[in-house]
This record gives sequence, C-alpha cells and structure tokens, in this order.
Amino acid sequence: MTADIVKNTEQRAGGGASPSRRGSVHPIVPWIVAWACLLPLPFLLTNAYTQYVVNVICINVILAVGLNIVKGFAGQVTVGHMALAAIGAYSSAVLSTKLGLPFWGAMPAAMLVTGLAGAIVGVPSFRLEGAYLALATLGLAEAVRIIISGTDWLGASLGYAGIPPPYLAGIALDDYRSYYYLAMPLALLGLYFAFSILSSDIGRALKALREDPLAAAASGVNVRKYKVTAFVLSALYAGCAGSLQAHMAPGFIHPNSYTITEMITLLLMVVFGGIGHIWGGVIGAIAVTLIDDLTRDYLQYRMVMFGAVIVLTVMFMPSGIGGLIDDVLVRRRFKAIRRRRAGVASVVAADDV
Amino acid sequence: MLLEIKNLTKRFGGLTAVSKVDLSVRQGEVRGIIGPNGSGKSTLFNLISGVYRPDPGASIAFDGKDITNLEAHEIARRGVARTFQLLRIFSGMSVIENLLIGHHGHIRYGAASAVVGSRRAWAEERRVRQEMMELLSFIGLADYADMPAGEMSGGQQRLLALGRAMAARPKLLLLDEPAAGLSPINVDVLLDTVLALKNRFGLTVIIIEHILKVVMETCEAVSVLDHGEKIAEGSPAQIRDDRLVIEAYLGKEMKDEEVRAFLRSA
Ligand SMILES: Nc1ncnc2c1ncn2[C@@H]1O[C@H](COP(=O)(O)OP(=O)(O)OP(=O)(O)O)[C@@H](O)[C@H]1O
Ligand SMILES: [Mg+2]
Repeated sequence: MTADIVKNTEQRAGGGASPSRRGSVHPIVPWIVAWACLLPLPFLLTNAYTQYVVNVICINVILAVGLNIVKGFAGQVTVGHMALAAIGAYSSAVLSTKLGLPFWGAMPAAMLVTGLAGAIVGVPSFRLEGAYLALATLGLAEAVRIIISGTDWLGASLGYAGIPPPYLAGIALDDYRSYYYLAMPLALLGLYFAFSILSSDIGRALKALREDPLAAAASGVNVRKYKVTAFVLSALYAGCAGSLQAHMAPGFIHPNSYTITEMITLLLMVVFGGIGHIWGGVIGAIAVTLIDDLTRDYLQYRMVMFGAVIVLTVMFMPSGIGGLIDDVLVRRRFKAIRRRRAGVASVVAADDV
Repeated sequence: MLLEIKNLTKRFGGLTAVSKVDLSVRQGEVRGIIGPNGSGKSTLFNLISGVYRPDPGASIAFDGKDITNLEAHEIARRGVARTFQLLRIFSGMSVIENLLIGHHGHIRYGAASAVVGSRRAWAEERRVRQEMMELLSFIGLADYADMPAGEMSGGQQRLLALGRAMAARPKLLLLDEPAAGLSPINVDVLLDTVLALKNRFGLTVIIIEHILKVVMETCEAVSVLDHGEKIAEGSPAQIRDDRLVIEAYLGKEMKDEEVRAFLRSA
C-alpha cells in the first residue's frame, strides 16, 4: 500500500517544489529596481515637511521590520523596542560628538551596542512568556529612558543636541531631501535582509519557536540561542533606526521620543500591518506614520484611538492587513488544490481524526 | 545496545510517573511500549528526549554516550527523533517547512550567509528542499508541500509528524501513539510507512501504542509499564500471556474496544 502511495506521489512530486529562489534572478534585483523607482520621490514632494514625514516613514519601516522579527516571527512579546532605538540613537550621538566618529563609524558601532543591549533584553525570555515577558521588557525599557533622562552628559531631560549630519561622498546630508537618500536605501536594505533571514534556516527556526518551542527543541533547535538571535537581530534594526533619528536634521534627540507612547505607536504599525508579515509591517509603518502626522493636533486623543485600533485589530483581524492578503493569495490556492485532488488523493489524505 | 536506560525515575510532586525503569533497546529493533493510561509511557519518552530532566540516580546512554542530562536539542542532534502524542506540528508553517525544521541540525550555512542571502545559502537551501521533497514523496504528502500544515486533515498531520521526525535522519525514532485516531485502513498505511522507513534508513524504533494489533504485528519485543514501573518485557506472544499485564489492564478502565477484545482472547 505504501508502495502505491509512493508511486502515486512521486509522479506528482515536481508540482510542490519550493516557490522561492527558483529561476536565475538574484533576489536583490527587485530591491535595486525598487530603489531606482524611489529615487525621484523627493522631487515630487513640494515641501520640506512632507519630505521629513517620508524620512520618518523610512525609519519607522526599519523599526517595524525589526520588531516583526522578534515579535511576529519568533513570537516573543517585547515592548522594549523603542528603548533599544534610544540606545542606538544615544550611542550614535555620543560616539560622533564625544569621540568624533563619522556617521559611518558611529552607526555600525551604535548598532553593535544596541545588539548587545538586545541580547540583555532577550535574557528574560528564557523564563518568561507573553504578558510576563512584556512586563519585564517594559521595565527594562523604562529604566533606559529614566537613566537617560537623569544623566547630565546625555543631556538629561533637555535632550541631546549638536549631532553632526552624515556625509556621503563629501556631501553633508543635512536637509530632509538629502537625508532621504540615506534613509530610503537603508530601509530597503533592511527589508532585503529581513526577507533573506526569514526564508533561511534561521527564519524557520524563529517561526518554530513561535509555533511550539518544545517541538522545536525536540527537532534540534537550540531554543535559547534562537531567542537571543531574534532579540539581537531586531535590536540591530532598532540601533540602525535610532542612529538615523539622531543624525537627521536638526541633530537633536530627546528621551521623550522613546516613551511607551512611541512603543504603542510602533506596536500598532506591526499589529495593524500584520504580525509576522514583513510587507504588512511596511504598510502599517506607512499608514500609522501618516495618521500619526495628520492627527498631531489631537495628541491627547491619539493614544486612545491607537489603543482602540490595536484592540479592534486583534479582535477582528488578528493577522492584520498582511493576514488578509495571505488569506486571499495562499488559502485560495490551497483550497483549489484540495478540491481538485479530492477525488484522487491517497487514502490517508481523505482521513480525519 | 543503542539505548541503555538504568534506574530511570521521574516524580511530579507526590506522583511517581516513572519509577526505576531499566530499558535496553538493540540497534535495529522495533520495540513496543504498552501500558494503561497514565502509566508513564509518554513521560518515558519525554525523559529520553530531554523534554524532562530525570530524577537523580538515573542514567541514559545512547549510542555508547551518556545523554542523561543533555538538553532536548542536544539529544535531537545526536540522533534521537520523536513524535508527540498530540502531534505538536508547526501548524502555522508550511508542510515542507515542518520537515525543514526537522532537518535543522543538518543544514549548514552561517548566519552571515543567511542574512545577505549568499549563493552558498541558496545552494544549500535548494539541496535540502529537494531532499525534503523526496521524503515528502515517500510519506505521500508531496502535493501538499507548501500548504499550511494546520490546514491538513488529521491523518495527514499524523504522517507529517512522522515525516518531521524522519527529516532529522535519526538513529532512534520514538513514536508516541502514532496511529491514534486513525481508521483501520490508515493504521495499516502508517505502519507500512514506518516499516518502510525503518528498512530504508536502518532505524531503531520505539512505539508507544494502545492499538494492540500494531504492537503485535510490528514489534519484536514489548515492554509493559504500569504505575510508572516496568512490569513485564518479552516477545509479543509472551506478553499476551503474562498474568501481570492482564491484571494491569483489567485493573484500569480500559482505553478502547481493542484492549477488551485482546483480553477476551487471552
Ligand atoms: N508535566 C507533568 N506534571 C505533572 N504530572 C504529569 C506531567 N506529565 C505527566 N504527568 C503525570 O504522570 C503520569 C504519567 O503520564 P504519562 O503521560 O506519561 O502517561 P501515559 O502512559 O503516556 O498515558 P496515556 O496513555 O494517557 O498517554 C500521569 O499521572 C500524568 O498525569
Ligand atoms: Mg501518553
């Protein structure tokens, strides 16, 4: 009987081959195309403020993609991501002003520092899950903010000013338009890396953690190692984003940009966009940044609204926009396959427990 | 001996789930484990596979090396694969991804390769996907490679759980009630698949099973647990006639029709 099944399925085996990485085009090519298409954007935007918002979108995309890696893919509930961005921003600021490092040295160094901090934020995840992990990371995050607010050489609650702009080929990226040519490619690069990580063995291991850590361990996945990996990877994104925030004109950062409010806004991007969907996160980052900007006159109601949207999304659209897209594309496809095969499928396929 | 367990004990609070069990399994053997509900069968697997830590005094040697206090992933890496009674497949991942996780220990490219999407990572991914497609064909699920595992039927999920364990290319395969809930025809399909895999890959298999037909037909030897203790061991025929075994089953509420039928015939 098995022989029959084997024979049957071997004839059809070709049909199910992996969808990704077929063909000969390197996966970075689409990203280069995207980059080329996005190049003229600043010339379509008439005022500096809109350009500023676009840059913020790029930075938020990096933040959201990073948070998605740890929360969406590895399933670790953290609210410490903005604190990591703060660490990135302040490290980059200190390294460039106090040590005189150029942006291109300060940013990688700041990412390294943030990556290390990410590993520390990840340690509670060895023992804690869900809401408890969220509380632990919240505690760490608030500690970071309070320490910054109380440290004079970090500008305390006055903020840290005088952070120099990056230079690219001798040109200072000191206005919003030129800064776009730094932020946009970095956002695309971050996306490309995220996609390649997640289609790799590492990405699968992270998803397995989210799905069932025990079964993952029994399959040979070192759960603690991959938890830390997830936190460090996402921290690297946060560090990069923080550094970008610090060096953008006017070169000023403030601890109030890294409060729980900002964290909720970031969570909204990821939740609304779709936990575990990279593109969803991008859509979320764009949508929420725009809404955030349009409603800036109603600051006091905003958090109520964001909170409500998070709750509603979780209740009625738990996998967000990305989940809806997935439903349409993926599920349909398999429903069709199943219908088609219903008649010929193997005995076991027709069985149900 | 491929697996040599001595004095294995596990207490949960006041309850002794596994009590001073010795168990030796030869290379290439198919061993059955039977026993009433709650007799410690699954706990035994959890101890062997490192999901639980044994109480002090135990020793578990696998392939000549001590694995008593290793972590689950380390034990898996040494060649012990298992299925779970409640399957625990990764239902949000695709069928082939489930297998690829099973194969995780054999996938060789570094983090840097993965992040930048290097040619090396590509080539390796292509290779392992092909290998997993072959395995999927073998268990008859090749058509469903990209389907979310949670959307498959119960029977298919059982096959997938088996496939994920096999993807690890284990030396020892632990199957916790692999045929539970399957219709009689599919029990046969599953058993044939297990035996075919065993022969093809030279496996050693330990099967926990309530369906006695499975045990009688596939196992060379059977060990019986009751209240965490090993109360009998021998060939299926010997076990069938063992008075202790019959009492162990009679003393409990019996799990299914088959047990009762078996006891009537004994
Ligand atoms: N994690 C745990 N914590 C507390 N008690 C446990 C735990 N795991 C198992 N037990 C107890 O240990 C005993 C043995 O359980 P086990 O699951 O090993 O039985 P089993 O032989 O597999 O039964 P079944 O045939 O129902 O699967 C049971 O009384 C069970 O309640
Ligand atoms: Mg059990």
